[in-house]
Amino acid sequence: MTFVKKIEAVIRHYKLEDVKNALSQVGVQGMTVNEVRGFGRQRGQKETYRGAEYTVDFLPKVKLEVIVEDSDVDKVIKTITETARTGQIGDGKIFVTNLADVIRIRTGETGRDAI
Amino acid sequence: MKKIEAVIRHVKLEEVKDALTEAGVQGMTVSEVRGFGRQKGYREQYRGEDYVVDFLPKVKMEVVVAEEQLPGVIETIIRAARTGQVGDGKIFVTDLEELVRIRTGESGGEAI
Repeated sequence: MTFVKKIEAVIRHYKLEDVKNALSQVGVQGMTVNEVRGFGRQRGQKETYRGAEYTVDFLPKVKLEVIVEDSDVDKVIKTITETARTGQIGDGKIFVTNLADVIRIRTGETGRDAI
Repeated sequence: MKKIEAVIRHVKLEEVKDALTEAGVQGMTVSEVRGFGRQKGYREQYRGEDYVVDFLPKVKMEVVVAEEQLPGVIETIIRAARTGQVGDGKIFVTDLEELVRIRTGESGGEAI
């Protein structure tokens, strides 16, 4: 156990800058993002195209990953939630997993020192 | 709660999505990845040179399920994604410590 958690957040594209800045303000310095597509219970939305109604399920989102010490998890979840929320369907989700280890490639530091 | 990540063939995405929906899985996230397993892709010839194509495009799909649903969901993914050929992919299961629905703040099982 490293007492380090990985937090993954699937959020709306246009919220990325806001979330990044808010995280920086609470001391989270680094992150990784990638492009994903997804949907939740409401399965995207219905759209009409050329007179035919169909469900668009996989919607483009951004997945953001940060590593934090256990003691910071609640603060970071709150920061992401408050910044990323619009109140509309499609706001996204946050996933927290335990990290068996984390290593800084440049220096070989591990665990908390690698955050 | 468990997080399931499945690396599968592109061509199987719709089928796996439909099978999971039928099995009661409410949502998923997918991303484009590249990868290979033990067989390291395949050999190809290009302009007379023999080389190994290792990183092949795949889709990574992530879903969250309650612990009780885990065996059933794994089986559903396998049945829908398997072709029997090298390159079918792999499934990775991790424990989810916490889950939060951003729109409502619901957490834990209610956020699934």
